Amino acid sequence: MAKLYVHTVPPPDLNKNTEWFMYPGVWTTYILILFFSWLLVLSVFGCTAGMAWTVVNLFHFAVTYYFFHWKKGTPFAEDQGIYNNLTWWEQMDNGKQLTRNRKFLTVVPVVLYLIASHTTDYQHPMLFLNTVSVAVLVIAKFPNMHKVRIFGING
Amino acid sequence: MVRLPYLTALTTLFSYGLLFVFGQLRDFFRKIIDWSKSTSKGLKGYAPICLGLEDFYTRRLYLRIQDCFSRPIASAPDAWIDVVERYSNDNNKTLHRTSNTTKCLNLGSYNYLGFAAADEYCTPRVIESLKKYSSSTCSIRVDGGTTDLHNELEELVARFVGKPAAITFGMGYVTNSAIIPILIGKGGLIISDSLNHNSIVNGARGSGAAVRVFQHNNPSHLEEVLRELIAEGQPRTHRPWKKIIVIVEGIYSMEGELCQLPEIISVCKKYKAYTYLDEAHSIGAVGKTGRGVCELLGVDPADVDIMMGTFTKSFGSCGGYIAASKEIIQYLKYSCPAHLYATSMSPPAVQQVISAIKVILGEDGSSRGAQKLAHIRENSNFFRSELQKMGFEVLGDSDSPVMPIMLYNPAKIPAFSRECLKQNVAIVTVAFPATPLLLARARICISAAHSKEDLIKGLEVISKVGDLVGIKYFPAEPPNHQGQGHKKLE
Repeated sequence: MAKLYVHTVPPPDLNKNTEWFMYPGVWTTYILILFFSWLLVLSVFGCTAGMAWTVVNLFHFAVTYYFFHWKKGTPFAEDQGIYNNLTWWEQMDNGKQLTRNRKFLTVVPVVLYLIASHTTDYQHPMLFLNTVSVAVLVIAKFPNMHKVRIFGING
Repeated sequence: MVRLPYLTALTTLFSYGLLFVFGQLRDFFRKIIDWSKSTSKGLKGYAPICLGLEDFYTRRLYLRIQDCFSRPIASAPDAWIDVVERYSNDNNKTLHRTSNTTKCLNLGSYNYLGFAAADEYCTPRVIESLKKYSSSTCSIRVDGGTTDLHNELEELVARFVGKPAAITFGMGYVTNSAIIPILIGKGGLIISDSLNHNSIVNGARGSGAAVRVFQHNNPSHLEEVLRELIAEGQPRTHRPWKKIIVIVEGIYSMEGELCQLPEIISVCKKYKAYTYLDEAHSIGAVGKTGRGVCELLGVDPADVDIMMGTFTKSFGSCGGYIAASKEIIQYLKYSCPAHLYATSMSPPAVQQVISAIKVILGEDGSSRGAQKLAHIRENSNFFRSELQKMGFEVLGDSDSPVMPIMLYNPAKIPAFSRECLKQNVAIVTVAFPATPLLLARARICISAAHSKEDLIKGLEVISKVGDLVGIKYFPAEPPNHQGQGHKKLE
């Protein structure tokens, strides 16, 4: 099992901030990180499974909203700031919409929402928070929201 | 095409994620703790020099392993090299030099033919030219900087490479970044290989032409990209492109792979695109008489429109050249800023290249050139096959003197580098941004100056350190294994 090999070709993406997402194993790592953080929350807080999923969902919302849709630019200076006005989501796949990676990243919050709301039995404060987070995340990933800045915030 | 174990891909992504999280945490605490210092003194109203995010990679990832890069040396970069020892008191943020040096086996310098150290034919002539012409012409080429040495070099380079004329510049990087904007401008199209060197990327960006990339070394993808772009035309007006140039390299310095030149040239001819071949690493190092990738792969130099190369790798000097038809070179002499405004090559450096080319061609009266070429080919093939037998993942084709050993995980980069230095082998490790984020590697450059004992010692050390660090991703092969990658091209 440990010696399963994958082939990878360096992807033709000039933006080094987003090209790491095109390698094999990224989706699996993402899902595994979510799963292990759920276990971590369960072991640290000792709460119910549903509460733990809600906590993971909200934390996931905060982290991915900040890094994908708020922070602009790239963490290195070699590209001389040509992406300084674009968030990571807008830089992905060179701006092409509805690619496989984008579809995957849109589905993950929805699946998390379904798991979190199912395991908390659709009870009130958690349901509201989960719904808000999935709505914001999915709307932020629509193709029509490409380069849109509502009320000029973060422009 | 890289093969990696799936588990390694997962752990590498996870490690980078962890490093990223720790870096962000540290930045966050620094913002809080240094809040008082930031709202201070006379710098109100000035924009910050770097936005907080821009140098994140440098501050939080690169500085932690800074002692593996930029190691100062204290001798000529021959087969053995003196590396200056350094220490740090604040966890690698600042490094201090000591006056001790260690003699290490040099597996990192681009010294392909061994001209980097004193040579019995070149060095006396270089010293003579230093005495006669002094160390600098102190002038630009068009004013008073063209000595007869420069003219001799340009003719010799043109003859060596197989083109009608050539022009030389003082710096290899500048050769690419100053020539490409002259050759093509707005309304043109540059299609470059996705792993091209930064000098080409810089030149392409500076030219104002539209830039597209094609998948590394993939002539069918190049054809696809060409067809799509020619059909679409220029971005908004959809008029036909004024000019199309396809830029590839002879040997890719981070992969050690040879370019698939014959196929790419035929694709370009079919769609009437110009070709620009950057032979920085292959000129003088591959091919039966050292004339580079064209000779090795059987391509007629007249089929490549512009051939570029540098003198820093195989010839032990500095500077670069462009070889093309007489009209193009004449045009470059009138318009290239690196010719019109930059100081010309230093005369002893010119003489070094002239002597080195004469040795390679055999015009110095001995067969040392042919011996060096045979030696480097044998050394490269021996080293590469031994490494592959031990189970390392080595990239690159046979006959190529550049071989990267894949490391992947970010923690293995400093581990490998520091362990090898402790055992007196100087290795260059390359991480992001010179390579894609996940594909960090240690790059080995073989030289004709390495003897068999040197190579065997290097192999022993690398094998031991490889076991310690855990980079033998493939099972150690039995003696009759074929080895992955391209077969020997002949």
